[in-house]
Amino acid sequence: MENVDLSIVIGGPQGGGIDTASSMISKAFTYSGYQVISVREFHSNIKGRHSYIHLRVKNSPVRSVRYPVDILVALDPDTIFEHHEDISKGTRILYDADFETSELSQARMIMRDTSRRIKEMLESTGHTLNVKGVLEYMKSKGAVPIPVSFGNVVSEAVSDGTPTRYFNTFGAAATLAVLGIDKNYVEKVIRSVFGNKEKVIGPNIKVVDAAYDYCSKNKLRIKNLPDLEMGKKMLLTGNDGSAIGKVIGGLRFQTYYPITPASDESTILEEHEELKWMEGENTNLITGGVTVVQAEDEISAINMASGAAMTGTRSATATSGPGFSLMAEAISFAGMDEIPLVVTLYQRGGPSTGLPTRNGQSDLLFALHTGHGEFPRIVISSGDVKECIEDSVRALNYAQRYQLPVIHLIDKNLANTTELVDIPDASSLKVQEPDKSDGKDSFSRFTLDTKNGISPIGFFGRDIFWLTGDEHDEKGHVTEDTWMRDRQMEKRFLKIETCEKEVPMSERAVVIGPSSADVTFMTWGSQKGLVLDVIDALGKKGIKANLLYLKMFEPFPSEFVSEVLKKAKKVIGVESNMTAQACKVIKMNTGIGIENLILKYNGRHVTEDEVMDASLRIIEKKEKVVVLKNGA
Amino acid sequence: MAHNFRTDVAIDWCPGCGDFGILTALTQAFTELNLDPKNLAMVSGIGCSGKTPHYINAAGMHTLHGRGIPFATGLKLANPNLKVVLTGGDGDLLSIGAGHFVAEGRRNTGITVVLFDNQVYGLTKGQAAPTMALGMQTKSLTRPNVFGQVNPVALALASGYTFVARGFSFDTKQLKEIVKRSIMHDGSSLIDVLQPCPTYNNINTMEVYRQKVYKLEDDKSWNPTVNESNVDHYEDIYQRAFVKALEMDKRIPTGVFYENNTIPSFPRRLNEHVKDYLSSPPALQAVQKNGKSLVDPANSFADKILQ
Ligand SMILES: Cc1ncc(C[n+]2csc(CCOP(=O)(O)OP(=O)(O)O)c2C)c(N)n1
Ligand code: SF4
Ligand SMILES: [Mg+2]
Repeated sequence: MENVDLSIVIGGPQGGGIDTASSMISKAFTYSGYQVISVREFHSNIKGRHSYIHLRVKNSPVRSVRYPVDILVALDPDTIFEHHEDISKGTRILYDADFETSELSQARMIMRDTSRRIKEMLESTGHTLNVKGVLEYMKSKGAVPIPVSFGNVVSEAVSDGTPTRYFNTFGAAATLAVLGIDKNYVEKVIRSVFGNKEKVIGPNIKVVDAAYDYCSKNKLRIKNLPDLEMGKKMLLTGNDGSAIGKVIGGLRFQTYYPITPASDESTILEEHEELKWMEGENTNLITGGVTVVQAEDEISAINMASGAAMTGTRSATATSGPGFSLMAEAISFAGMDEIPLVVTLYQRGGPSTGLPTRNGQSDLLFALHTGHGEFPRIVISSGDVKECIEDSVRALNYAQRYQLPVIHLIDKNLANTTELVDIPDASSLKVQEPDKSDGKDSFSRFTLDTKNGISPIGFFGRDIFWLTGDEHDEKGHVTEDTWMRDRQMEKRFLKIETCEKEVPMSERAVVIGPSSADVTFMTWGSQKGLVLDVIDALGKKGIKANLLYLKMFEPFPSEFVSEVLKKAKKVIGVESNMTAQACKVIKMNTGIGIENLILKYNGRHVTEDEVMDASLRIIEKKEKVVVLKNGA
Repeated sequence: MAHNFRTDVAIDWCPGCGDFGILTALTQAFTELNLDPKNLAMVSGIGCSGKTPHYINAAGMHTLHGRGIPFATGLKLANPNLKVVLTGGDGDLLSIGAGHFVAEGRRNTGITVVLFDNQVYGLTKGQAAPTMALGMQTKSLTRPNVFGQVNPVALALASGYTFVARGFSFDTKQLKEIVKRSIMHDGSSLIDVLQPCPTYNNINTMEVYRQKVYKLEDDKSWNPTVNESNVDHYEDIYQRAFVKALEMDKRIPTGVFYENNTIPSFPRRLNEHVKDYLSSPPALQAVQKNGKSLVDPANSFADKILQ
């Protein structure tokens, strides 16, 4: 079968049902056996501003999105204005015919500077300053507008007087009809999306019928995607993945203070607070669930989690930049008092409130240095949904094993990207218990009598011991004795050496692709799949490339990375930040600098085409640093 | 033999400090209640007051300045079987930790908050704490206090604490009884303790307080308690508590201002939503067997499966 590779953007006003439309599209493709990824972009706004979902569909694993799109579905005029550059020859633009007369000056929800740039473009190319003009511009690039009177078609199908309520369903169904997806799947999707709300399902199915009829009558179908075999899979975001991994890993207590894009994870945990147990276990004996607590602020959230952790409960909190800044002092306490604590840090565009709903990878150096004083910590990062699941289990294990704060980095792009993944096999993921006290009265929480720095841990409710943020003796009482100070510092840092000995390199850094190559990419976080796609594309052009992919930043796998980079011919670092933070970490730990950089800090998701283009500029035109600009 | 709850750690409070009396009242209360020291968690923030857990032979957590309440809440919610007692300073609980102080009232987690009210920041050498009156100038202040005064009892009442009391550190007998009642109360307690700091507070000394304090319970008609049986009178009892709370100048009432047994504690509220929360709280759940998770992700997240 020929390769299927489709790119779709569906856009509309925030709060206008874009998520539902996207979910319909993703699920319909999934039911018909295709692989889907969808990236969500939105403003920090509840209603009205431009939001969109960027999807890619393949009949093989899909790990990135790309421009130009094959179909642009516009549920508002802003979508047409905002995405006028994201098209190419043959792109179908599906939109409400009523939009054509919409003036740019009336599109008040478009950011002022965006509007100005669109205006300048339209003026310089001689087009009118309205949707009609921008469509003319897109047509001049080969795009094919498909005006449909949404209102008329929908009103004919359902007569409840609120046709706009169904515009998202109509847009999604028309997209699927244009691509030749079997209508039965779309109806199945409607049932899955709206649960058992029969009152809602009925009219939505009528709208689906109307969309299919309309497209067939007007001969709008451009593809006929055949059915493929569909396995049993999960459609998950990075937020979902992290939540699932946490409960597999034994999490029973999560705290949070609301913040984008972290709090979705806590909401998901709360929705699934009742846990179901593995088959074959004596389910009468196992009870309980996850307790999720919304704290009064992030300082409280992290310290509550620390308190809970000291009862023997696997505990975590999730936040993003602003909240993490507030947590600094508590991270230091957890380091000093050897508390097994997991902080899931969702990175978004900073500094300050920055780009609250947009992507960024600018908190790596902060995560490595949060908190005053010197103490051991572990910092890891995930690059796709499957990794989010596995790494959340590992984060809890590391915390238990090494008794320290573990910071798990997930970027916003990954948090809000939906991927189709296999159902996690919990039996393949190890859940590790800590070394615990013997329960005797002579227990010393911070005993120096260890070979690996790991003093058996005690728990409130079980042992008597003390914790203090001050330097302490073996029992946990305050000391300023110089000898004890040195020993306790050394004991704490010995745990990091133990960690380096015990954790396999596959969990820290890996080379993907051929062991020797002309070009070696270095990346981390959500660019992983995309860089691998670029590597495949470069291969087709005869350029042999591989990827050094980083997962653990503390303790840093210096020797491994150093070996890889010494052998590499040309290294290109790809990061979603301005100052190439992972490259800095590499330099700090290995002395090796990376000169060629592909960076993006406009907050939008990175796309395959722009990294491909940037790579060629670096490889063939010898440019050093390319800053990526894609994104509405 | 009953546990005496004292450690052999050398106490480094100043001679004559009111903190000694609080320590005595606490340990006597624990002994009289016959608490299991392994089931008692002492939590504190930072300050002279923050040192208390080290002097008590029970699991202790001497945490961050102002953050005792979050740590205590985490302990209690992960294991509601624990008795959690927090000792904090007035700077600790009402300045840097004021947000947590108010939030704890909303939660009513079931912890005992003992406020060491000396009106100064003891450990940082006598700056004005939120409980110091406007215009007051203690010997370590370079000018009179330019901040207004927070009323801890009124603030606790307004925030939702379901047991609100005041003690005096030189009346350990009364304070001990208040502590005992607060520990047995199913909900969060605030005990404001008038605590002379002879080193920095030369105005509100032990002698001054001795002349001002009187006991609410000496009035035989005083009933601060709301139960199911008198819940109809809840408003009267609550209002009277506020009126008494505002009495702070010439005479200072001590004793129990308010006790409401009709408002469910946070663990009870959670139990309504999280299955088996009280019978199988987070700390007591098994999470693995032979290194394998007990959780079945497919079943627990069945709504995410497409087939
Ligand atoms: C975040 C932070 N800021 C400042 C301090 C310094 N500090 C230590 S104790 C203290 C004040 C203590 O006053 P109070 O809470 O009233 O306790 P007291 O000593 O009077 O018992 C301060 C500000 C600190 N430890 N942490
Ligand atoms: S400074 Fe004041 S509060 Fe602190 S120990 Fe001395 S007398 Fe007590
Ligand atoms: Mg004080």
